[in-house]
Amino acid sequence: MKLFTSKDDLIRWLNSLLRERIIVAPVRVQELTVFQPISKVEEIAFDFGNTTLSPKGWFLPPTETLFSVQNNDGQPKLVPAVIEKDAVIFGLHPCDARGIALMDSPFLQEPGDALYRERRARTALIGLACHQAQPECFCTSMGSAPNDPSHVDILLTEVEAGYIVQVVTEKGERLLPKGFVEYKGALPTPPEPQAIPIKEVIPAIRELFNNPYWERLADRCLHCNICAYVCPTCYCFDVRDYSDRGNLERVRSWDSCQSSGFTRIAGGYDLRPTKGARLRQRFYHKLLYFPEQFQDVACVGCGRCIKACPVNIDIREVMSDLQQLEAKSES
Amino acid sequence: MDSELIHQIGNQARDLLESGTVKGVIGYERASDGLTARPFFAYEPAAVERLIFDETCSYNLVKYLLDKKDEKMAVVVKPCDSRTINLLLNEEQIKRDMVFIIGVTCPGVVETSWNHKGQTLQARCQTCQLSKPLVYDFLAEHEPVERLEGELYLDIQEMETRPVTVRRAFWLEQFERCIRCYACRQVCPGCYCPECFAEQLDPLWMGIRIAPKENELWQTIRTFHLAGRCVGCNECERVCPVDIPLSLLNRKLEKEVKELFAFQAGLNPEELPPFATFKKEEKLGFEE
Repeated sequence: MKLFTSKDDLIRWLNSLLRERIIVAPVRVQELTVFQPISKVEEIAFDFGNTTLSPKGWFLPPTETLFSVQNNDGQPKLVPAVIEKDAVIFGLHPCDARGIALMDSPFLQEPGDALYRERRARTALIGLACHQAQPECFCTSMGSAPNDPSHVDILLTEVEAGYIVQVVTEKGERLLPKGFVEYKGALPTPPEPQAIPIKEVIPAIRELFNNPYWERLADRCLHCNICAYVCPTCYCFDVRDYSDRGNLERVRSWDSCQSSGFTRIAGGYDLRPTKGARLRQRFYHKLLYFPEQFQDVACVGCGRCIKACPVNIDIREVMSDLQQLEAKSES
Repeated sequence: MDSELIHQIGNQARDLLESGTVKGVIGYERASDGLTARPFFAYEPAAVERLIFDETCSYNLVKYLLDKKDEKMAVVVKPCDSRTINLLLNEEQIKRDMVFIIGVTCPGVVETSWNHKGQTLQARCQTCQLSKPLVYDFLAEHEPVERLEGELYLDIQEMETRPVTVRRAFWLEQFERCIRCYACRQVCPGCYCPECFAEQLDPLWMGIRIAPKENELWQTIRTFHLAGRCVGCNECERVCPVDIPLSLLNRKLEKEVKELFAFQAGLNPEELPPFATFKKEEKLGFEE
């Protein structure tokens, strides 16, 4: 079903949604565009290439309390984390919606992650089709498209005078106000992001585990966590308990396979002691282990890591290098 | 792009690799955007063809020497980066005979990010006092570089005039954005502790929360650990994915140390930094 709304009606609709729900939307903070809960609809940035951080933080926050234990005169009381309100993520691009769909695989697979599951169930996704491809985008090579409605509840496409509204799921339909008229025209032609060849990446990566390529690539890697933290599909975290005067809090925070302590185990032994082993893990997880477990390659082609990496480790270049190395080793 | 300079760097690098003087040469090559630069490690003489040098070569490559202590490496060093060599020599983190320094004269670098090249020189270049590296084994030089005269701490002085509550609010707002990616630490040549306090478990200093209180603690201690040690390469600010103006903190402490001890890090490899020494006559401000 395709409907149409003017920008004014869209704003009215968002205002009515904001009365009952949290709206998480792209907001400009200085030079950055970030997803955050808004207090006024006017805060929303409609025109942006891609946000600095992906919207994954709504479902897997940088830091959250999983539960706490309170000490009531010697009687411990378990206090679970509570999600108080329903939410809408507004304005996410199709690549980011696909990122959330990919995160569902590890987090919703039985027994599932209770907090993630509840947030996911109580959050609707209103996507915004891209009207411009960025130089770092390659979503069409990774199974998505600038106008892909697959993983949102409603997809908006900007046209002259307003937005085409595609209602994708029942959840989306329930959000919809009355009065949007049917849109009979065709959808605009989507922009064309750069296409990259990835067909041979998985066979190549299977063969090149011990290739010196990884240590050479890691020479310039700083082993910061930027790539993992801006990535819409990186989902590693650390869990710790913090106690304070008899009260305890179990905290989960983002973590990344790039940090040096990530695989250090009791006794100080590190399973991935070298920079090359750590950098290799990033690409092996995305391009081999994740698809082995959940079918899809864990990259949506949003290009954030390319843009944010301080030393230009470009995943497209890595994929191309691997295919060339593999071709060379076969010939 | 200065082809004469690149020619000189390339020739020197090729000689070093062909003669086996060094295991590798750390320099710059073109990034995947075809516009800016990225760090490049050349291990074979043929690879030196990829070396470049231009106004996008912002990176302070000296940090990488800390990863290559067992092998003799050559490194391309701008005048500002040479202070890092002195810092690391002073703190005994590198050995002079394990490094071949390919110095370059530098007309200044611009702000860059992937696929973006700024039009004006970086602020630190606009007040740069060094016309050539303080230490080098070979100097690639071309056009004479004019030394610039400028006020170093205008923005810091402006900040100092603001009331403490305003400053505090400003910094809390900045730190709230921090995602604890540690890019500032990882890129910093002065940050080389085998175990950073931020990750230490016993004693536990700050824990894993990515939250305002922890972020503030992280940035405050990071800055203090660099007091009198920061060489002002500003890599931390350049790499910060959420644009925290770290140079305001670093240069504030640089200014304090300069005023108190007449010391600036990295200018002299022999002079002990203030926090590595103690003089009996120093006033401590208590029990005089």
